Amino acid sequence: MSSIATWSSYLLTVIIFPPLCLGVVRKTKARLQNRVGPAVWQPFFDLHRLTKKRETLSDTMCGVFRLSTVVGLSTTFALAWFIPWVPIKPWSPHADIFTVIYLFALERFFTLLGAMDSGSAFGAFGASRDVTLNLLVEPALCLALVSLSIIANSTDLGAIFSFSHFSTVSLVWFCAGTSIFLTSLAELGRMPVDDPTTHLELTMIHEAMTLEASARNLFLLEFTRMLKLTLFLALSAQCYLRIWAGFATLAPFQQELLVLIGVLLMAIFVGILESLVVKLQWRKVPEFVAYIVTVSLISVFVAMAGNTSL
Amino acid sequence: MNLSAPELCLLMAALVACLTLGSLHLSVNLGLFAIETVLIALATAFMGGITGDRELYVIALLIFCFKAFTVPLFLSWISDKLMAQRDIGSFLPAPLSMHLCLILFVLSFALAKEIPVSHAAGHSWPGASAGISLLLSGLILMLARRLAISQVVGFLVIENGIYTFALTQTRGMPLMVEMGILLDLLVAVMVAGLLIFKIQKNFEHIDIAQLKDLRD
Repeated sequence: MSSIATWSSYLLTVIIFPPLCLGVVRKTKARLQNRVGPAVWQPFFDLHRLTKKRETLSDTMCGVFRLSTVVGLSTTFALAWFIPWVPIKPWSPHADIFTVIYLFALERFFTLLGAMDSGSAFGAFGASRDVTLNLLVEPALCLALVSLSIIANSTDLGAIFSFSHFSTVSLVWFCAGTSIFLTSLAELGRMPVDDPTTHLELTMIHEAMTLEASARNLFLLEFTRMLKLTLFLALSAQCYLRIWAGFATLAPFQQELLVLIGVLLMAIFVGILESLVVKLQWRKVPEFVAYIVTVSLISVFVAMAGNTSL
Repeated sequence: MNLSAPELCLLMAALVACLTLGSLHLSVNLGLFAIETVLIALATAFMGGITGDRELYVIALLIFCFKAFTVPLFLSWISDKLMAQRDIGSFLPAPLSMHLCLILFVLSFALAKEIPVSHAAGHSWPGASAGISLLLSGLILMLARRLAISQVVGFLVIENGIYTFALTQTRGMPLMVEMGILLDLLVAVMVAGLLIFKIQKNFEHIDIAQLKDLRD
């Protein structure tokens, strides 16, 4: 495939796909509540509207607030460049799993700084809750990626996701995919952990951190979040697709198409899940995360058992 | 690693037993116990297919009827009567005991590899590791839970573990012995159920942590 086609398809997936993904989640939720709901491309209009609004800033802010959103978005773009979340990419750099995990942590750190810089109490406690949550969730994500690296004998994500010996490891792919998906629910503040549409500040986790952002800053924050959602969903969709051993033998553009359809299906599934489950009490969240860690542990053990060919 | 059908069933049963530790709801515990026992009955039937032993089919049917069906129903009936939906709390938090159990699951793999295996059909060390793991999860269940009904569930899981170990290591027990064990088990559960009623009547709770003081 020519480089121009590769570039344009990659840029299209990075720019167009994340808002579409969120739109699909919202549309599914609306349909399940018997509403027509906004069109799936509504997030584009929302983002466009945000760029035209005037900004309101708190008096106590210093430059960190501005810096945080920019650093957050650029880190997420770097992640989109590192992680093999779509099969067609202009480059595939060496992406160690721990680099990726700590890049996620860097993005989170700057979001927290931004939330605390605004001087609002809600921002601060949103930040503290988010840190607690991510502290709990990080082992689950680490273990899931480690289990994949065990079966591929490499810590390079690119090598893991182009790995093509599928004798007995489909259970590992399934467990790791489930674990990454559930982690993304916790990490991005989706339903069982945090309600993204809540309007009560006391129950917010992620929304509390974005309360003080407005106009272009909010645009950057929102887009960062959409892109992160798409990255996580694409990773877990790829894990699920690799349960089917024939996936690795397909042509790249067929793989790309399947992954994108998979991401949209996962988005619909997120919408269904958010309409069915209730938000967990904050004290119950560690228990939910413990189940995610269990799934990751199972996946690591199965990977170890499969790899040593007992 | 290539697993035969009975081994796969037994390993899945051991995994389900690990998951049982994760919930404090009695109905979930009993449901998972029923699934675990159905898997063991399936493994017994598959084993009958492999070894050509007709008696194993009968044993599988008996396990399915008594252990997987009657016993959980009876226990859930008791918990309904006593209005005990949840274990009051365990000495170890539920998720942690689940993780501990998973680690023991892996340790039992290492343990089972050391057991000398006869080379007869259907006798294998993954099955033995499932047996050891089931036994240990039953032990943790009994240690970590405070409600008398959970103690009975823990006892039943231990029994499942011993049965699994016997099934995979020896040629299975004779039909008469197995029937005797099942009957004993049924009677034991019935007696335990009656005892639980009695405890509830005398002490107005079924929390075994508070049964340390003697009373006349």
